[in-house]
Amino acid sequence: MKASYRWLRELVPTLEASPSDVAARLTHAGLEVEGTIEYGAGTESCLVVRVAGVRPHPTKSGLRLVTVDRGAGPSQEVVCGAPNVPEPGGLVVLAPLGARLPAKDLTIAPRAIAGVTSEGMLCSESELGLSDEGGGILVLPPGTAEPGTPLSEAVPNARDTVFEIGLTPNRPDGLGHVGLARQLAALFEIPFEAPRAKPEALAKVADVATKDLVTIAVDDAERCPHYGAAAAVDVTIRPSPLGVKYRLQALGVRAISNVVDVTNLVMLEYGHPMHAFDLDRVRPDAGGERRIVVRRAEDGEVLKTLDGVDRALVADDLLICDGAGPVALAGVMGGASSEIQDDTRRVLFECAYFEPRGVRRTARRNAMHTESSHRFERGVDPGDVAAVLDRALALTLELAGGAAAKGRVHVQAGAARPEPEPIARRAIRFRGSRVREVTGVDVPFAVSVGILERLGCAIVKRDGDACEVLVPTHRPDLAREIDLVEEVIHVHGMDAVPAELPAIRASRDVGGREELARRAKEACAAVGLSEAITFSFTSARALEALAAPAPAVKLDNPMAEHQSVLRTTLLVGLLDAVKNARRHGERDVREFTVGPVFLAPSGAARSERDALLPDERLRVAFALAGDRPAWLEKPKPLEVWDAKGYALEIARRLTGKPVSVAPAAREEAPRHLHPRGAAFVEVDGRRVGAFGPLHPDAVDALELDGEVLVFEMELDPFVGGAATPRFRAIPRFPASARDVALVVKDGVPAGEVEAAVRAAAGPLAEAVRLFDRFVGGQVPAGHASLAFRVVYRSAERTLTDAEVDAAHANVVAAASSKFGATLRS
Amino acid sequence: MAAQTEHADPAADIDRALTNLREGFSARFRAAATEQALRDENAKILGKKGELTAILKELGKAPADQRKKIGERVNALKQEVEAGFEACLRDLRKKARAAELDAPPFDLTLPERLPLADGGHRHPISLVREDVVNVFRQLGFAVFDGPEVEHEENNFGHLGYPPDHPATDMQDTFWTTGEAGNKLLLRSHTSNVQIRAMKSVKPPMAFIAPGTVYRRDDDATHSPMFHQIEAFLVDENVTLAHLKGVLAEFAERIYGPGTPVRLRPSYFPFVEPGAEVDIGCVFCKRADGTRAGCSLCKHTGWIEILGCGMIHPVVFENCGIDPERWSGFALGMGLERIALLRYGIPNIKLLFENDPRFLAQF
Repeated sequence: MKASYRWLRELVPTLEASPSDVAARLTHAGLEVEGTIEYGAGTESCLVVRVAGVRPHPTKSGLRLVTVDRGAGPSQEVVCGAPNVPEPGGLVVLAPLGARLPAKDLTIAPRAIAGVTSEGMLCSESELGLSDEGGGILVLPPGTAEPGTPLSEAVPNARDTVFEIGLTPNRPDGLGHVGLARQLAALFEIPFEAPRAKPEALAKVADVATKDLVTIAVDDAERCPHYGAAAAVDVTIRPSPLGVKYRLQALGVRAISNVVDVTNLVMLEYGHPMHAFDLDRVRPDAGGERRIVVRRAEDGEVLKTLDGVDRALVADDLLICDGAGPVALAGVMGGASSEIQDDTRRVLFECAYFEPRGVRRTARRNAMHTESSHRFERGVDPGDVAAVLDRALALTLELAGGAAAKGRVHVQAGAARPEPEPIARRAIRFRGSRVREVTGVDVPFAVSVGILERLGCAIVKRDGDACEVLVPTHRPDLAREIDLVEEVIHVHGMDAVPAELPAIRASRDVGGREELARRAKEACAAVGLSEAITFSFTSARALEALAAPAPAVKLDNPMAEHQSVLRTTLLVGLLDAVKNARRHGERDVREFTVGPVFLAPSGAARSERDALLPDERLRVAFALAGDRPAWLEKPKPLEVWDAKGYALEIARRLTGKPVSVAPAAREEAPRHLHPRGAAFVEVDGRRVGAFGPLHPDAVDALELDGEVLVFEMELDPFVGGAATPRFRAIPRFPASARDVALVVKDGVPAGEVEAAVRAAAGPLAEAVRLFDRFVGGQVPAGHASLAFRVVYRSAERTLTDAEVDAAHANVVAAASSKFGATLRS
Repeated sequence: MAAQTEHADPAADIDRALTNLREGFSARFRAAATEQALRDENAKILGKKGELTAILKELGKAPADQRKKIGERVNALKQEVEAGFEACLRDLRKKARAAELDAPPFDLTLPERLPLADGGHRHPISLVREDVVNVFRQLGFAVFDGPEVEHEENNFGHLGYPPDHPATDMQDTFWTTGEAGNKLLLRSHTSNVQIRAMKSVKPPMAFIAPGTVYRRDDDATHSPMFHQIEAFLVDENVTLAHLKGVLAEFAERIYGPGTPVRLRPSYFPFVEPGAEVDIGCVFCKRADGTRAGCSLCKHTGWIEILGCGMIHPVVFENCGIDPERWSGFALGMGLERIALLRYGIPNIKLLFENDPRFLAQF
């Protein structure tokens, strides 16, 4: 909402605060001034001058030398290139030497134009900051002012400070200057009287009555509780005077013609949109009667709105119709058929109250957002219809001449009457103590009541420090006591609220996922992975490429196809990161992410209603690409055993339990993993995750340009926290180590050999570790040498060499009998 | 020898060469065992010094009236060869892929390796999230989990958003394709957790709800997915002064001692009075505690960081809590904004691209 400082001061004549003070107070009362515009800033230093003579430029065609009379002092000749320099006697605007034109960031200095020095410039509206019109200079109507008068004095409305107010949707009263003025008056503690058309302004009355000019019928009184109409006859359509034009333009509304401008002025004043019909273009019905009918549309009915679009309507849309058919989409936009034209003589003004939700539904359905729908859907003042009509008529008689038709027509609850029924005002009980109880600020009851009264409330049934408050019709947002408390603290000032730290009775976590996610992130970061935050959105195609479950959540209104479903695997986002990094030439990516996947409802929900929600399962996943980090070594690509290392360590840190890896048999390998290298991670014998190289088909489908190792694991089973480690005694006796290198056939899993070694070495073996795998050289083809170190130790004594050798002797024998292993020579 | 030249018929020679090539190329392609061998063979035919190019060079010797026809044959053959090459290439790749997938499995029973690495890095959003959660935990708040896919009533209705009301325009929401009667959405704020907590826990309560939220907005300062933390306290005799006290404590701990806080009235349907919270600009603060004004605070000395207010009685009523006995406050902040300001990150998109060079900075 744009608001004029000049207009607000006209409405609150005793307001003396500067524009910046006004802006600050409005902002601190919840009507945030987001910016201010200095409108017509160039008009202060520019003068109205009279053209005294015009002659051609000596050398350059298209330019002219214009002699202008500046009132007092000698006349002056300036160079002008505009096509519309008026004949001598015409009034134009001169920017004299030294004038500032902020709109063009220009200060006028002597300037040679094609050999002639010009000590000033004749200005267009755009140079003065009045509009975008820069095609020619501004020519003022005769009699605007005496030559030499600053333009800002000649046309005061050409200079204004305009506030850009970011109104919250609960404050429809702020969409008009009257509402803003009332708020300002309350803030600055100035009495306020809402403006009313003066009787003398409406003194010219025609013989004809509004009700005889047109019949008005409202078929849907629920959607249109009040339809008011008033007519003016013998009007002359012409441009509005400059004062009106610049007032509208300062507020971003284009001036069109006097009667149309009246409807816009009144809307900006009262915040109540209205409509003007050319009464002679309101088509009669079959019986020859001129009618306005407010009714619901029929499904499929079509109306061409003023913007030239054919709107297909539905039965929920409310229409304004004349005798022949629809002429306007109620509260949203008019049609072209009964528009005001240059030859209009008789005008019918409509001022109605439309039910806000209905207007909003129609506007949304048609993707229309107009000044009118914006106001109606927030709720205009249902109580100001008569005042608005009077104001429009008074302005019309002033600007367009003619006379007001006798009487008005008000259709309320479907019945026409000459005067509107007053609207019952909502009564709210208000306890003065509530202000302190809610805000912590002790506002005396009298002060609270004073604030409410200044905002237009009436206080009735006062009873000690409580009362009944009658809410004004322009404040539909005041519905219960808390709303009144808020008004009091807004006007009183939130800065008065002290800061007090409450004594908080502590709660306990519910759900536990925040802590679980934090532990998972910490575990991943601790092993050297970096955290990615990936979008929950993805495409069904990407999920399919990863053989992930089909999406359980599809979006009705996605922003893009690749963000149209919610993920069922975390890998999609991580692989996007890998792809992007590679595209930027970054080959090394080691990233993890923690977050939910969205699966089909599991039935495990706590309530029946929540059983309809998708199953959001918290997971951790990583993606590894590129070279293994190493120190002073030729880099080598990361391998599946690196993925195993990261996966095991993360799982151990998260669970505090032994974690094992079970290589996946080809037929049971998760389909997004390479069948040669897929494995499950198991905790307590339960599969909780899987890792491996990404399947090459997935690499191709996702255009990843190279191998990626991935891991994904469920987190929810570990929401209770990691198992607490139990202390084991630190060994007091020394260990003895023995190495053994066993040659086995290819295809014998090293893990099984290790298990056999461990079993054969007996209870004295504290640890068995594979420390070398060797092929080639002396090792026969099709075989590998596996070198194990077995550490023997007793908790009770130092072992003798003989004891250790005896235990170790079993190792080779067992390996030989079980795998046909031989000792590497 | 001279006679041979005389009798030579260039057109027939070309014809013969073309026929030979046509009959031979496919077998030559099929014989290639590797992709490289196939490419080499293809170059021998179609390359700059290839056989077909060589034939084309002879074209000038043919009688003028036959050149066009021969030219057409050459082109047709070229296309045939290209198609044959592509088919063989696909075949070879298919075989190579099958062989690769069928190769003996890696021995995953070999011990794991945990590479030495630079420390990992936490995402800036995560760092901010933990800091904020910690501040509130220290004040006595606990975390209440809530779903990201939510019922309409928990995200809007119970929070006091009237149906068909412009207030819902403040948040352009993602809806799911669920059938009527089960209208689900991606939560547009973490305030859904207020409803879930108040419907399931008896007051008093002090909870925070950190989490992911979604709105249909995508530009330099908005991402369709972003993060919020909601904090709410419900007890007897909670006032706006308590809210201000908690905010002041929060500002001191997150933005540094002496950071001033101010409340600016605003409107959110589920709180009343509602306010936006500004803190003294942390970028243009002078040593004496005054502020010079800078581009980040639009020369006001203040930066908006969150929205808050007293929980609206209608929200209590919707959750079966008596608003005459219980009162409370709620506040909600966007984590992205805090992170962008704290680390001087110019564009919100950087937060979700997960470029390793970005993540390594935090």
